[in-house]
Amino acid sequence: MVMKENISQLMDGELEGSDAARALSALRDEAAGRQVWRTYHLIGDALRDTRMLSQGFSERVAARLAEEPTVLAPAASAPAARPWRRYFMPAAAGLAAVGFVGSVAFLVPLQEPSLVPQPVAQVPQVRPTPAAVAAEPARVPLPLAADDYLLAHQGYSPRNLLQGVAPYVRTVSGQALEGRR
Amino acid sequence: MRGLALLLAVGCGLAHAQSTPEALALLNKIHAATQRLSYTGTFVYQTGNRTEISRISRIADAFGGTEKLEVLDGVPREVVRTRDGVRCYLPESQTVKVERAGSGSQREFPAILPDRLADLPQHYVATRGQSARIAGFDCVAVLLTPRDDLRHGYVLWADANTGMLLRARTVNEKGETLEQFTFTQLQIGPVARDKVKPRHAARNWRVEDAEAAPADLSEAGWTVNADLPGFRKIGELRRKMRESLLVGQVVYSDGLAAVSVFIEPLADRRELTGRGLSNLGAINIYTREVANHLVTVVGETPAASVRRIADRVEFKRPQ
Repeated sequence: MVMKENISQLMDGELEGSDAARALSALRDEAAGRQVWRTYHLIGDALRDTRMLSQGFSERVAARLAEEPTVLAPAASAPAARPWRRYFMPAAAGLAAVGFVGSVAFLVPLQEPSLVPQPVAQVPQVRPTPAAVAAEPARVPLPLAADDYLLAHQGYSPRNLLQGVAPYVRTVSGQALEGRR
Repeated sequence: MRGLALLLAVGCGLAHAQSTPEALALLNKIHAATQRLSYTGTFVYQTGNRTEISRISRIADAFGGTEKLEVLDGVPREVVRTRDGVRCYLPESQTVKVERAGSGSQREFPAILPDRLADLPQHYVATRGQSARIAGFDCVAVLLTPRDDLRHGYVLWADANTGMLLRARTVNEKGETLEQFTFTQLQIGPVARDKVKPRHAARNWRVEDAEAAPADLSEAGWTVNADLPGFRKIGELRRKMRESLLVGQVVYSDGLAAVSVFIEPLADRRELTGRGLSNLGAINIYTREVANHLVTVVGETPAASVRRIADRVEFKRPQ
């Protein structure tokens, strides 16, 4: 049973990665969860004074999505600063169980083999466009093994030819490591 | 500095700018000095809000010389390089990390820069910068302005007399300093042997030997392709990391900057790292998962370059 709290977090874009995928998959499987999802959105719309959508809007969107060709560009799907937009669309499509848009990462949990066409083998590999590459990737702390990588890398840097052994000073400082413990 | 910022700001306009022969000659002189001179001195390494002082000594000889770097601030570290390779001493954890020369393609290194100095003007515009006095030396400067946004820019200040590099600054496309090495004290001339000896006997210390050996990662199903103009593969090897991990490493370089691609089984690294981009001064690190492996790209380049290389890594099970 997907928790109401999870649904609320999902709507607010506070769930990421596997948490979001788990919540979406639960939504797909649980009618009660979907009801909460709709109710929360209704509440949100009312609070924001959003105009009500016409009858059957979701169904029409889902049908239109099903007609669109599926384009997979895995490399273009780097985690973005506002994840809910990406998660929402697969959720809508997955809930309607007629089609989906989204990244490969979310295909698996959302897929219902009997209802969803198997797209992976048929579509051409789309190389990331320059625009996709330019999108900001997630910022993470330095890997704990950063010093190992740096040491392994440094021997190959042409900088050594101009500076001798000095560039080996490029390691994660003691303080930085302390802060992570 | 304003001149450089301006120069970098109009990077596009520089596509047709020319490197000057005197700037390229100075680069050659710096390289020659690095091989030829014995020296001992103290330098400051700055990146972000971090400042570290280190002592460095080098004895030049016919066999490639012996050098020692000793970090004086923070956690003690010592790096000794001889013709046999590099040994990194970490007294707190009583560990020695060993990278042997001649493994992978490391033996060919000294040839890289002069060989490719001819290529350098394709990707950087080398011009003379403003002279400065550093640690008592009258220095001349060379600016290396990248022709595209795949690499950083550099400003190098060298002793006008000997060519010894006194200050090296890496800058981004806005002309902001990403990291800087500056000598605060330097003595060029004969150096006593004990200055380049490791301080620690390191008896009973843990030894982590990379045991690197040339490899062909494509045999295991990996496609790694820099696909960045000017970056050529300079090494492909299999090596150990820490005690037992077997890691694939492919290195690319444009003659000034290098980028390493590390590929290792995910099982050993699952809890150790996030997925995405991290940064240490001029170095960017991008981590992603491919086919149950962790791909980590480490490069002295802008984030977009390491990410582009990481995104191109593919795995296809060998038939």
